[in-house]
Amino acid sequence: MSNVLSSILSAEFFFSIIRITSPILFATLGAVIVEKAGISNIGLEGIMMISALFGSLCAYWSSSWFVGLLAAMIVGVIVALIMSVFAFQLKTDIILVGIAINMIGSGGTIFLVKSITNMTEGEALSSTTSLITSELQIPTVQIPLIQNIPVIGPIISGHSLLTYLAFLLVFLTWVLLYKTSLGLNLRSVGENPNAASSVGVSVTRVRYTAMALSGLMAGLGGAFMSMSYAMGWSLNMVAGRGFIALAAQAMGSGEPFGAMLATIVFGFAQAFGIKLSSIGLDSNLSSPIPYIITIIGLVVFAIVKRKRDAKRVAAVGAKQRKEK
Amino acid sequence: MSKKASLRFSILRGFVAILISLFIASILIFISAEGGSFGEKLSSTGEALVYLIVRPILNGKGAFSVKSLTDILACMIPTIFTGLATCVMFSANQFNLGAEGGIMLGAFVSALVAIYVPMGTGIHMVVAVLAGAVSVAVMMLIPGILKAKLDVSEMVCSLMLNYVVMYAIKFMMNTYFADKTKGQVQSLPFEKTALVPQLINNGSKLTWGFILALIFVALTALFMYRTRWGYAIRMIGINRDFAKYSGMKVAAIIVASQVIGGVLAGLGGGVEMLGRNEFYSWSALPGYGWTGITIACIAGNNPILVPLAAFFIAYLDKGCNLMATYCGIPAQLIDIIQAVIFLFFAAEQFLSGYRQKLVVRSAQQELREKEGQK
Repeated sequence: MSNVLSSILSAEFFFSIIRITSPILFATLGAVIVEKAGISNIGLEGIMMISALFGSLCAYWSSSWFVGLLAAMIVGVIVALIMSVFAFQLKTDIILVGIAINMIGSGGTIFLVKSITNMTEGEALSSTTSLITSELQIPTVQIPLIQNIPVIGPIISGHSLLTYLAFLLVFLTWVLLYKTSLGLNLRSVGENPNAASSVGVSVTRVRYTAMALSGLMAGLGGAFMSMSYAMGWSLNMVAGRGFIALAAQAMGSGEPFGAMLATIVFGFAQAFGIKLSSIGLDSNLSSPIPYIITIIGLVVFAIVKRKRDAKRVAAVGAKQRKEK
Repeated sequence: MSKKASLRFSILRGFVAILISLFIASILIFISAEGGSFGEKLSSTGEALVYLIVRPILNGKGAFSVKSLTDILACMIPTIFTGLATCVMFSANQFNLGAEGGIMLGAFVSALVAIYVPMGTGIHMVVAVLAGAVSVAVMMLIPGILKAKLDVSEMVCSLMLNYVVMYAIKFMMNTYFADKTKGQVQSLPFEKTALVPQLINNGSKLTWGFILALIFVALTALFMYRTRWGYAIRMIGINRDFAKYSGMKVAAIIVASQVIGGVLAGLGGGVEMLGRNEFYSWSALPGYGWTGITIACIAGNNPILVPLAAFFIAYLDKGCNLMATYCGIPAQLIDIIQAVIFLFFAAEQFLSGYRQKLVVRSAQQELREKEGQK
């Protein structure tokens, strides 16, 4: 037991929490933005898969990780915009659109990778792991000064560039939502689209923008998966992170910082699971830990929310009685 | 618009949706087809399309074959069940995506009963399949009750449960139930008494499960359109507040819809496992749950149309497999075709302009007829 404890309290373990949290954090921010605009984008998972694939492929073709990253972001936005056309123009239930995108993300990507590599490499590959070398990975950053601080240094320094971007984006998302006019429009559309449209906000345009931003975030998450977390794209590599992001959004009551904390909880759960399997626990027992934590987290959040609402109702009632 | 005209419109709309998806499929086939020049690629695309569209019911020589047809029918067995499960759950606006894990759990539990609980012929199979169904019903209680009592998203919850179920089954297979004499992870063979009997003995694995699936299509349709509970489930899907204020027990019905979906998915898992296999060896989610969602969408959540939709998807699936074998087109093309068909069937405003024209025309005609009567 002390063995477990000491390996958990190591700097390396906390480092891995941050690393594991980053891709989920991107998707979570995507979920936060669209939910603020009143849309549930359950296609985040699929978008991550698709952009992870194109990110790694473009990095390979251009021999540059930056082009790959850019491609992943663009693909993420394009997929999100296609979803928007179906959802807002053709009035398809957004949940069904999300399911369709996830179908393409799981099975369709393997078709794409096979036929694309067949054309360019001469043989059909079922993953891009053999194409990605460590130079094509998104570079890691050693932060000067901080990296020399004992304990904190090895935890915070040395992450992928995208990891720092993910945490920076939490702040930027907050700025976007609460300090810009776009954010105001976004929130008003989410709160009451009719009211927003009556004061001249183009509801459709705001929704498109929100979807595009969520696609961008999911694209970054996908790029992280195939170009930093793992070497290249492989089947089902996102493994439910897009769905966990939806849960994290709900647990953070839709706020960027709250959702970030929830995401870190999931990052911890997954890092813990990996740690347990590395010291001998059957991986089939440790792998489901993040999923179980997600369900428990949702339940706890729902109970807390219910209590808070009940309290608020009671407080309002008491105030009204007093005024009488 | 009259009922007949509206039906005609739905058929046309479905037809156009299918054409669009086949068109997108042909573009994708063209891109991945072999051949150096444009003409060569075009001809190999044509060849591949023949495999996709015509060959599934033909034999190697190009004549109609019963074996090919029964192959397709056999593939429909699990997807009819998951399609029905999705119909019931989506009708109540419960986006429970747990049919995927459900069918795996049902198959696993049925397999265990088939191996370890000896019983007489006939009764053994029934008990095994029912045990599978009950286990999935219990699994679906989790998202159902959480949704009804705490308003936890049944979608996220059921998706997470799929992963939990998969890993739990893998763990139990590896540690307790694996046949250690075999190279791969598989269970001991099922007792002969538990196997679902074959309907036609031609190697297609078309079992009595197919008849059972059709019976459940009828039962589900009767339940949804001829019983109080079925009405309540549909009403909650249409307008939850209305259902609540007209005195329906919304929470109980939400749970019931998901549990019934679970029973159907579980039955599918058991029937498929004991009909097609002689031992349990699934190590990943089988994908029937997702196919079931597409099928329910094509059928417009109407149980009666589920077999038709299931046939269509099974047909295309076989076509894609043939293309993969003979033309080197990756078989996973089916996932993209499915997703596109799914999207266009779900798109409410798709061809709405044309529909509007039809409505106007029929209204004008009615007016003219009325004036003629005067």
